[in-house]
Amino acid sequence: MSPDNKKRPGQRPQFSFGVLGSARLRLAAAFLLGVAGGAAVVFAAEDSVGSLPGIRFEGYPNSPPVSVVSRKADLFFYPCDQCHAAMEPNPDIRELNVMHVAELQHGRGRIWCLSCHDLENRNYLRTLLDEPVDFDQAHLVCGGCHSNRHKDWVFGAHGKRVANWQGERKLYDCAHCHDPHSPSIQPRAPKPPPPVRVGLELVRGASHERDSGVDRKEAED
Amino acid sequence: MSEHSDSGNGDNRFSEARRRFLRGLGMSAAAVAQPAWGGKTFGDAFADFFQKHYKRMSAEEIEETLERIKRKAEARYGVEIDCENTPPQENVVFGYAINISRCKGYRDCVQGCVEENNLGRDSQVQYIRVLQMDQGDSNLEHADHYYDPETVPVEGKYYLPVQCMQCDDPPCVKACPVDATWMEPDGIVVIDYDWCIGCRYCMTACPYWARHFNWTEPEIPAAEMNPDTHYLGNRPRPRGVVEKCHFCIQRTRKGQQPACLEACPTGARIFGNLLDPDSEIRYVLANKTVFRLKEDLGTEPKFWYFSD
Repeated sequence: MSPDNKKRPGQRPQFSFGVLGSARLRLAAAFLLGVAGGAAVVFAAEDSVGSLPGIRFEGYPNSPPVSVVSRKADLFFYPCDQCHAAMEPNPDIRELNVMHVAELQHGRGRIWCLSCHDLENRNYLRTLLDEPVDFDQAHLVCGGCHSNRHKDWVFGAHGKRVANWQGERKLYDCAHCHDPHSPSIQPRAPKPPPPVRVGLELVRGASHERDSGVDRKEAED
Repeated sequence: MSEHSDSGNGDNRFSEARRRFLRGLGMSAAAVAQPAWGGKTFGDAFADFFQKHYKRMSAEEIEETLERIKRKAEARYGVEIDCENTPPQENVVFGYAINISRCKGYRDCVQGCVEENNLGRDSQVQYIRVLQMDQGDSNLEHADHYYDPETVPVEGKYYLPVQCMQCDDPPCVKACPVDATWMEPDGIVVIDYDWCIGCRYCMTACPYWARHFNWTEPEIPAAEMNPDTHYLGNRPRPRGVVEKCHFCIQRTRKGQQPACLEACPTGARIFGNLLDPDSEIRYVLANKTVFRLKEDLGTEPKFWYFSD
């Protein structure tokens, strides 16, 4: 693909999330530059910090500066342009049976691919206001509907911070834990239970009331 | 000035002379007495016997003690460990919160804790207990921490991890007859394992079942030994002392997260500095409906629970 004939999302007006005028965060920059591998690197090299595509997150009132762990290297098909550059965009709602998830377990039928994926800038996501969002800023897309969670996540009451309680706040993005195409997390096996104390036996469902006087009385009758 | 002033300044002649004597004794005895004294040299065993309380040791004496701990660990487990004495940070008091609507009972925190803190793999000591409770019920007597279904969470149950609450008014500290346990300036209640006499009074004093007695010599495979240790934290402990969660003092004093938090896959655990108004824990305390276990006892736990 040639970057010249590609429509650049950076030409669009930028969108401030949260407080207007607050310039606390410049998230996209660090992560675009941090991406490893293939075409994404070419992409990153062209973008100076000032002309980054995609909207930026500027924080909530009094929110701490946070950065987000990049997920692009984990995305199997990314950059999407690898295939989609040669394909005609088709906005019709339909079932996708090739390559992509056939059944979307998110939104109970109210949303489909292009609710979150950008039709024209294939390597980007989009918000409900149709602004392009870099894949490493996917939380901006999630936050469009799940705003309470998003706020909790920025302030640290939801999700996970990487490694430190002190210093730089680096957060795992929403999609690190929740599969956006099937967000509910399935039950799984627990780690083994603690050993029972030596000399004691494990009694399941023991009850002080039942195992004391009341039961003995019934046995006597 | 009293002759009992061995209060950790290390500049009085008596302790200096004694140290020289012990060191000399240790060196001369090391060669001949290797196999005896439980794998220690005679000098180490002798110095162990006269080791002072943590708070009364001078910086130099602590250094010597740390070296001895390393030597003993190598003799006992065949692993080279590092034992530190990282001091508390200024203006830091640690607090913890758990989102019980996020906790799914996977027990990953328990495993993370066991591996980080060099807990005996077969012993019955685990610092964290994840209680399985019936939804709508908060009676701890109905809790089950031995739950072992094929998958968790089980329908109709919720999970309540319990560990040391690092109380601000800790009843265990009051109960200890030898001052082997105390609260550090960063709010962590710690134990000097070498000073503990194993009377277990503190265990009866603790309302949270957070303290555990080490009945057996902790067995840890050499490959699984965590070599980053702290004197008041996860260094190899002897048999017959009381242990408990210390908020991973070896990690948290260096700015890292506790191991249980790092192991938690759901993000239910939130840790931070209570004195920092911008910290995650302060956000939770200010914006969520939090509660503490057995708050009515007045032990002022620095450990909160909430759901959202």
